[in-house]
Amino acid sequence: MASLPLRVFTPAGADKPAISAPLGPELSAVPISTGRAAVLPPAPRAEPSAAARLGEVLRSQLTTLLLGACSLGSLVLLWHLATTYRWDFYIRFANLPTPMEVATQLGMAMENTSFIHNVGMSLRRIAIGFAVATVLGVGLGLAIGRYKLLRQLMFPAMEALRPIPAIAWVPISIMLWPDNEVSIVFITFIGAFFPILLNTVAGVQAVDAVLLRAGQCLGAREPQLMWHVVLPGAAPQVFTGLAVGMGVAWVSLIAAEMISGQFGVGYFTWEAYSLISYADIVLGMITIGVLGLGCSWLIRAASNLCLPWLAYSKPAGQS
Amino acid sequence: MNPELETSTINAPSALGHIVLENLSMSFGQGVSRIEAVQAIDLNVAPGEFVSIIGPSGCGKSTLLNVVAGFATPSGGQVLLDGAPIVGPGPERGVVFQQYSLFPWMSVRKNVEFGLKMKGVDTSKRETTARTLLGLAGLLAFENHFPDQLSGGMKQRVGIVRALATSPQVMLMDEPFGALDAQTRVVMQQILTNMWQKFRLSVLFITHDIEEAIFLSDRVYVMTARPGRIKAEIAIALPRPRTAEMMSSIEFTQILHKLRNLIREESLAAMGHELDAGGLEGFSTEVGPAGLQHLV
Repeated sequence: MASLPLRVFTPAGADKPAISAPLGPELSAVPISTGRAAVLPPAPRAEPSAAARLGEVLRSQLTTLLLGACSLGSLVLLWHLATTYRWDFYIRFANLPTPMEVATQLGMAMENTSFIHNVGMSLRRIAIGFAVATVLGVGLGLAIGRYKLLRQLMFPAMEALRPIPAIAWVPISIMLWPDNEVSIVFITFIGAFFPILLNTVAGVQAVDAVLLRAGQCLGAREPQLMWHVVLPGAAPQVFTGLAVGMGVAWVSLIAAEMISGQFGVGYFTWEAYSLISYADIVLGMITIGVLGLGCSWLIRAASNLCLPWLAYSKPAGQS
Repeated sequence: MNPELETSTINAPSALGHIVLENLSMSFGQGVSRIEAVQAIDLNVAPGEFVSIIGPSGCGKSTLLNVVAGFATPSGGQVLLDGAPIVGPGPERGVVFQQYSLFPWMSVRKNVEFGLKMKGVDTSKRETTARTLLGLAGLLAFENHFPDQLSGGMKQRVGIVRALATSPQVMLMDEPFGALDAQTRVVMQQILTNMWQKFRLSVLFITHDIEEAIFLSDRVYVMTARPGRIKAEIAIALPRPRTAEMMSSIEFTQILHKLRNLIREESLAAMGHELDAGGLEGFSTEVGPAGLQHLV
């Protein structure tokens, strides 16, 4: 960009016609001969046979799968040994249920509507709290990120509230909302809201100014610019916010259910402790883990679906 | 599909696209840190004329283009498009950026359709126009690719086609081939001059490549080192359509020598200023934060 225009070249050089030989006055001939040679995503290297490729993929997948199974298997084995032989060295495994007991408990729980109901309640709270947090977080984030005045007006308030963990809101939330159910959803919302908001703000501010200019030059007015340029430009970071927000939402939900709840997996787990139903405690824990994993998988799937172009913007390996 | 026929319906020849800069000046900052970027610029582009501005780094060529594009408001003087002052960016002035600036989340075709979509043109018509233009640029096979799947030269062809899609009266090009390698650049220059031959719109072209300016332009303005002023204005009398062979003609060579001498004086002057000012400071106006980002 800043180089000096003192390029050396030969005005009457014999090499010029060689370079320009394929350039007829006809447009159509030019780009095809040059464009194809330039870059194509499926690199024209020698393709191994389909069977060989499949074998290679399977082998690497199989290794991953085997190692994963080993990792999980040894965790369960350790758990089994510790609980069966009632290890006791400062940490006491004496009262913990064995994996088999938990598995049996799961079988019983699946036939029991109250467990399913608890899972359903937690999922519903997550769905509502997270949805509200997404709408408000992304909406506000777009506005705060784009408009300086709004940012200066709202950010200090947001920054003051942000460091307060969602769990700390429990007492106030119970006083604030008319019933228990809404207050738990509110706490879930609080947990998800700030990560989504902050990531959206950062995403908006990171949108390349040249893209905004390009949009304006092509006739986009502010609302169109917001919808067609700012939002998609910020989208990768918005999804980061959603993923983080989902994690925090689960933490907040479980805590809220344990403290103030009725129904829900957190409530189920805490109740099991009160009732000295040890197998249920572990069942509750595992359920929470699986649900959390499922939710973050959903976010990832949505991200891949909404941002197919990201696969190309970060070329793997950068060869 | 006959591209000749199709394009004539997209871009009917018109006598619009007359750019006039009158006694324009532009400065940044306040008080002591005030920097005069350009001063007393009188410049015009006639309808359908291809005009280039060349000058040493930091002379304010990009500033001039930003003013015409409507990104910056001049500190003094005026900028007119067909007699009306320019206020803000608009689709009647297509801009091609050095950094391509394609929307990475849209397919090539959606990028080209963007301006038409903003105008409210219906889907099928948008698609037809975009495909016609992409066909002209030899990119039809890539209409469903994402920009990041294309090479630099292809991206910039999409950038040009996207700017053309809204049938602008004026094209503003800010060192559009500056990021391309030398071979691709030569090809792109040929493509651009061929396209211009078809569309005949007014072009204001910023470059620091002297050969490029001569090859493409009807007229070339040479700017001085900062604060940028017009140092010379040279008409390029080479016949149209331009071909690569002309680059070795005697006329071309003569203009080249003349321009190169003019530029060399200014480049030396610019470097002298930079050294006086303590190195990098001289870059600040032209490169700016966005430009530096591009370098890192």
